Amino acid sequence: MMNQVGSTETIAPADPNSLENRHIVDASQGQTSYFPPTTGSEAISWAIHRADHSSTQNGILPSSTSTYQYDYQTQQPTRNVQDGLNAASLPSSSSSVGATNVSQDYNGYASYPNSTDPYGYGTTGYPGYYNSYPQQQQQQPNHSSYQQQPNHSSYQQEPNHSSYQQQPNHSSYQQQPNHSSYQQQPNSSYQQQPNSSYQQQHSNPSYSQPVGAYQNTGAPYQPLSSFQNTGSYAGSASYSSTYYNPGDYQTAGGYPSSGYSNQTTTWSDGSYANYTPHQYANYTPDSSTSAYSSGTVTAPSSHYQQQQYKQWADYYSQTEVSCAPGTENMTVASKSNVGCPIPGVSSGYSTSTSQAPPSYTPSWMPESSSSEFSSVQPAAGISSASDAYWQHGAPSSQIHITSPMQPQSQKPLDPKTTYDSFLDQQKAAYSQGHNLQYPATHQVPQSYQSPANQQVPQSYQSPAQIVPSSDTRRVSKLQIPTNPRIASNLTFGLPKTDKDSSTAGAAVKPAYISVSQPKANEKVLSNDAADSMLKPGTFPKSLRGYVERALVRCKGDMQMEACQDFMKEMITKATADGTLYTRDWDTEPLFPLPNVDAVNKDSLQSSTPGSSLPKYKRSPSRRSKSRWEPLPEEKFVDKSASVMSDTMKYGGWINANDKDRKPFFGNNGNKENNMSGMKFSPLDQKNASKNAQRPVKKQRYADGFNVADNCDASSDSDKEQSLTAYYSSAITLANTPEEKKRRENRSKRFEKRQGRTESNQFKPKNAGAGNLYSRRASALVLSKTFEDGAARAVEDIDWDSLTVKGTCQEIEKRYLRLTSAPDPASVRPEEVLEKALDMVHNSQKNYLYKCDQLKSIRQDLTVQRIRNWLTVKVYETHARLALEVGDLFEYNQCQSQLKTLYAEGIEGCHMEFSAYNLLCVILHSNNYRDLLSSMSRLSDEAKKDETVKHALAVRAAVTSENYVMFFRLYKTAPYLSTCLMDLYVEKMRYKAVSCMSRSYRPTIPVSYVAQVLGFITARPRNEGSDEKDSDGLGECVDWLKAHGACLIADNNGEMQLDTKASCASLFVPEPEDAVAHGDANLAVNDFLTRTSL
Amino acid sequence: MAAYPGMSMGEAHRRITEYLNRFSDAVSNQDAASLRFLLSLSSNSPFLLSLADALNIFQDSGRLIKHSDHYSQYSDILFNLFRSLQTYRLGNLFDSYQAFEKSANAFIQEFRNWESAWALEALYALAYEIRVLAERADRDLASNGKSPEKLKAAGSFLMKVFGVLAGKGPKRVGALYVTCQLFKVYFKLGTVHLCRSVIRSIETARIFDFEEFPKRDKVTYMYYTGRLEVFNENFPAADNKLSYALTHCNPRREANIRMILKYLIPVKLSIGILPKDWLLEKYNLVEYRDVVQALRRGDLRLLRRALQEHEDRFLRSGVFLVLEKLELQVYQRLVKKIYIIQKQKDPTKAHQVKLEVIVKALKWLEMDMDVDEVECIMSILIYKNLVKGYFAHKSKVVVLSKQDPFPKLNGKPVNS
Repeated sequence: MMNQVGSTETIAPADPNSLENRHIVDASQGQTSYFPPTTGSEAISWAIHRADHSSTQNGILPSSTSTYQYDYQTQQPTRNVQDGLNAASLPSSSSSVGATNVSQDYNGYASYPNSTDPYGYGTTGYPGYYNSYPQQQQQQPNHSSYQQQPNHSSYQQEPNHSSYQQQPNHSSYQQQPNHSSYQQQPNSSYQQQPNSSYQQQHSNPSYSQPVGAYQNTGAPYQPLSSFQNTGSYAGSASYSSTYYNPGDYQTAGGYPSSGYSNQTTTWSDGSYANYTPHQYANYTPDSSTSAYSSGTVTAPSSHYQQQQYKQWADYYSQTEVSCAPGTENMTVASKSNVGCPIPGVSSGYSTSTSQAPPSYTPSWMPESSSSEFSSVQPAAGISSASDAYWQHGAPSSQIHITSPMQPQSQKPLDPKTTYDSFLDQQKAAYSQGHNLQYPATHQVPQSYQSPANQQVPQSYQSPAQIVPSSDTRRVSKLQIPTNPRIASNLTFGLPKTDKDSSTAGAAVKPAYISVSQPKANEKVLSNDAADSMLKPGTFPKSLRGYVERALVRCKGDMQMEACQDFMKEMITKATADGTLYTRDWDTEPLFPLPNVDAVNKDSLQSSTPGSSLPKYKRSPSRRSKSRWEPLPEEKFVDKSASVMSDTMKYGGWINANDKDRKPFFGNNGNKENNMSGMKFSPLDQKNASKNAQRPVKKQRYADGFNVADNCDASSDSDKEQSLTAYYSSAITLANTPEEKKRRENRSKRFEKRQGRTESNQFKPKNAGAGNLYSRRASALVLSKTFEDGAARAVEDIDWDSLTVKGTCQEIEKRYLRLTSAPDPASVRPEEVLEKALDMVHNSQKNYLYKCDQLKSIRQDLTVQRIRNWLTVKVYETHARLALEVGDLFEYNQCQSQLKTLYAEGIEGCHMEFSAYNLLCVILHSNNYRDLLSSMSRLSDEAKKDETVKHALAVRAAVTSENYVMFFRLYKTAPYLSTCLMDLYVEKMRYKAVSCMSRSYRPTIPVSYVAQVLGFITARPRNEGSDEKDSDGLGECVDWLKAHGACLIADNNGEMQLDTKASCASLFVPEPEDAVAHGDANLAVNDFLTRTSL
Repeated sequence: MAAYPGMSMGEAHRRITEYLNRFSDAVSNQDAASLRFLLSLSSNSPFLLSLADALNIFQDSGRLIKHSDHYSQYSDILFNLFRSLQTYRLGNLFDSYQAFEKSANAFIQEFRNWESAWALEALYALAYEIRVLAERADRDLASNGKSPEKLKAAGSFLMKVFGVLAGKGPKRVGALYVTCQLFKVYFKLGTVHLCRSVIRSIETARIFDFEEFPKRDKVTYMYYTGRLEVFNENFPAADNKLSYALTHCNPRREANIRMILKYLIPVKLSIGILPKDWLLEKYNLVEYRDVVQALRRGDLRLLRRALQEHEDRFLRSGVFLVLEKLELQVYQRLVKKIYIIQKQKDPTKAHQVKLEVIVKALKWLEMDMDVDEVECIMSILIYKNLVKGYFAHKSKVVVLSKQDPFPKLNGKPVNS
């Protein structure tokens, strides 16, 4: 601990950023290890940087093949990468590097095995390098400490791999000096490593396997192409690694392109961006990796060598040097990050780099000292971390832990990067970061939350989500102890990082911001405040998110500055007019970017794409999303789709996490996890130390908060915009409506949970979170109520307030099914509806027109909640009209409404309609139970009613199949009962004829049939006119013939039904007016008539 | 205090504590019987009533619950249970139900966590109480002009309980009890269609043989499903189920036997099996006596009168339509009687029954039916195979088959 602490402290100064993340575990360990490397302070720094870079690189690389290319170029770096990978691998499983580390973790996981193999490879491959570099590099990676540590942790689990990589790493740390050599290789290795590391780190969580593979390939990895894959990783692995990786990658991608090319500047931006993405996706690891990757990638070759320390390039070079980079990367990253942040914030990569270098050396120094620790601590830390991870991963929790550690380290890096103070902070962050990340939520939360909040939140959040729970636990367990010590550093670092992130955030934050920033923002904000505009404590999370988003858009430092200035103004203004807290920052439209904005955006996006293109190629949109909260989701999706292992890993993590994790997992699974993760991280940060579970809730809350905040301020459209912006910020690339929908859906899943937890959360406002978003987006004013904290159930909605008072004066109105809240301007008030009803009564137009009009009247009545005599009249009118034309569908609608209206005591033609109801049940539903209940419900009064009596008689006739009775009743039916019976006549006649042809022999006169079956209105012997009889007779003959009856003429020329012959030949003909679609009302002519109305 | 003379605050406290101790003892000893007793609100046991009084005196029972390690984990159960008891004692059944449902909900949560099914008995009590309380609360609500909705809520709660039990494992044995409580709720609410899903899950489960359920529940289940078959006019199935219930039910529970017979008799009648008079009298099913008599005599008037007289009862129990369909059998009996008389007079022409004779017979029964109507009925009798032969329209004569002109149903339903 002492060492660690010392290291952390030293590191902290040097690599504030890294410190935070790595701090906890890695920091101490990593730092120590790093420090040794640092001996080549540079190396150390590199290692750190590399770690960071690696992470960034990973991120970038993954995203962009470029990283891979870098990796390739610097395949040696791969070793670094391995380191990074180790670190990364842990997260993602990553593949090779991580693999080793990760592999262990992963081993724990299903995927781990692979990673372990990779590790083996990596180690072996590394060995080559290691021989020269490998160990160093590996060590470096390890040094990347965070990664390494993670690795170590994983190593601990997987001694072999770890031993190689980790040991190498450790040794490398010590050796880090070697880094120089590493640098060369490192570069490649770094790149790869970075990638891998990033990926691994990032991925470690989920990706770990891939990473592991990558790492394995690393030295070997690079060969493996797996590193390339890492690039791809970013895509797959990183993604798979879970959101984290993806995020990293994505960010990385962005980073790489811009970051690399810009190296310093870009880095800063890129790193930020990367970080953010990474953070988001991979959480810090990813981001860091991404940043690293970008840094490493582009920089590695040139930058690193050239600027090495100064810029990411420096980092890369360092990384190269480094394998150390991995660890160094972390530091470096932190440095770079710092530098980056600075650049990002200020623009000066060079500055940052310059800063970074210094910081690095110092940090490294500490690290070197700590390196030992790191090695040692790593074990402990790792073990702890691993434990935590394992817990997360459950089985492979240790591995996971390691991976988490790595991720964290990466994260720290990112944070570090983001944070300017970074190096120190990073270191702290690293130590913490590891702890945090791994331990995760707890440590991270603490350190990260504040610092990382912005950046970390994003990246971390995601990690936090998954890892956090476990991490937190782990952290709490192992690292936490250290954390406290580190914590201060970390926290500081984190805060700083946050600040950085916020400032840098401009660049980085954007991505990060959206998710965790809000929460982090608050915490971070205070920290950040120093950095930029946002003061952690004082500003709403959503505001932070907003700032991050805004800053994320900024490609260049210039933009960042401009944005920051602009936002400062904005915030000051908001503070002045008191809207700071009431405004929905989440939905607040982003102001147009100053000048560079477009460029910045492009650079960010493009950078991510470019660097991460490979990744993006797979799922560009997703990735872009993944960067932000969405990204995780996307990643999950992608991962799930592409990398089951990753998901599996995550799942493993989740499982491992169980309680705490479960929540997270759930989130992850939902994709919202990212959000939640982000949120969680904040929560974790806040609560991290407390319970893992709590973190989850907190995250949710945080989400809710964010959402709530967003929601609060904005209108629906704003909300949507905010949503899009939110996502877009997170996911610049993919803002397609589909994705949004998905996100909304995802977020909806959590809404309930969030809502529940919201109240518990800090501020009710935040409660809403993503869910709220979705709802709000979808929605009604109602959604606002959700903000209140405790999510309200639908039944709590005040429908009264939603009741519309119509203002429309038009009497005629076409019916249109409502798909949204009614517009009072198109709803007619009661007086107008009365006129409309009269109009329908007096109309000469056909039923379809009337039906349409009546339906619109009914609708207007319903939305205005008018239930009185008019309502009854409208429904009765419609029911009668429907009966006249035999429209049972509409009739039933009206009947059921009338039933409740009558039950409410509203006057109407109750008897008539209960008779209709009875008839309808008897004749058309053929449900004895319904019939019985209808009958038993008839009052005595009703039974005396003629209409009801008739209906009951009809019922008796039908149930006894007494056709004679039925047709007598048919002729005497009152009101519209005839219409209802009409619908049953055909059936009854057929039954009757079947019966008669069976029981009569030899013949029956058709005249008798016609009389009995109602064809002849009056009985022959009664008065009835002959004409009518003959008409009826003819009709009967036609009917009988149509039904296959066999008719013969007897001696007198009278038509007879040959019953025996008919018995076998009767059939029910197809109705003449039958239409293919089953509803004659939909006949073309009618349809045209209707449409022409 | 005035309302509960003789009980001091200390006494109240003692009683409450005693209850709490008994509760936690029952849970920790897995003593389902005691637990059942403690949960049986509507049993009106003196112990619970005095507890209710104590609760009304000692208002801060919640604190007692929360401040003890023994009960605090069951605070959700106990707190709401106390409230329920309190309000129950005060006659506020609506609030009592509300609180009881909350308590039951908390209990279910606990129950879910208990590996074994030891608490099934207590759960039964809960399911029973919730239904009974809901029914009573609804009665109160209805009398106050409010819409009775508690039974519906109890239905959905019981559905939840069913979900807890319906899976695999030892708790499944309890599923049928809850099913039966659900049946009671649904039948009462008139939403018997909701029974279908429960029945399906009971009858399609291959992992659990129906015979393994407790006999009590099996009988109840068969009774209700038999009633459902009556609704569906699926008489053979109804006969099977109700006969099962009758043969397996406790022979000393005459009320239960009566309930079963109430449905079994109409079912048997409609498949041509008539009960002995002593059976109707023993179980006080006199409303069926005239129906049976009418069937024996072919007395349509008697049947219609009996139906009219007991219409409400038959409608409510859902056998009205079944009994109404017995008309055809009465007609058959009437024609058969005419045939027998004719045979005594002139065996050679006995198989030709003139329509006017039948009309005259009906007139004698004060059934005012014209020839067309009677002709239609004869046609239907032949069509339904209650009479073998044919109808000659020209001569208005029913010509009966010389062999077995009036086939007996012998346990088969009338052709439809």
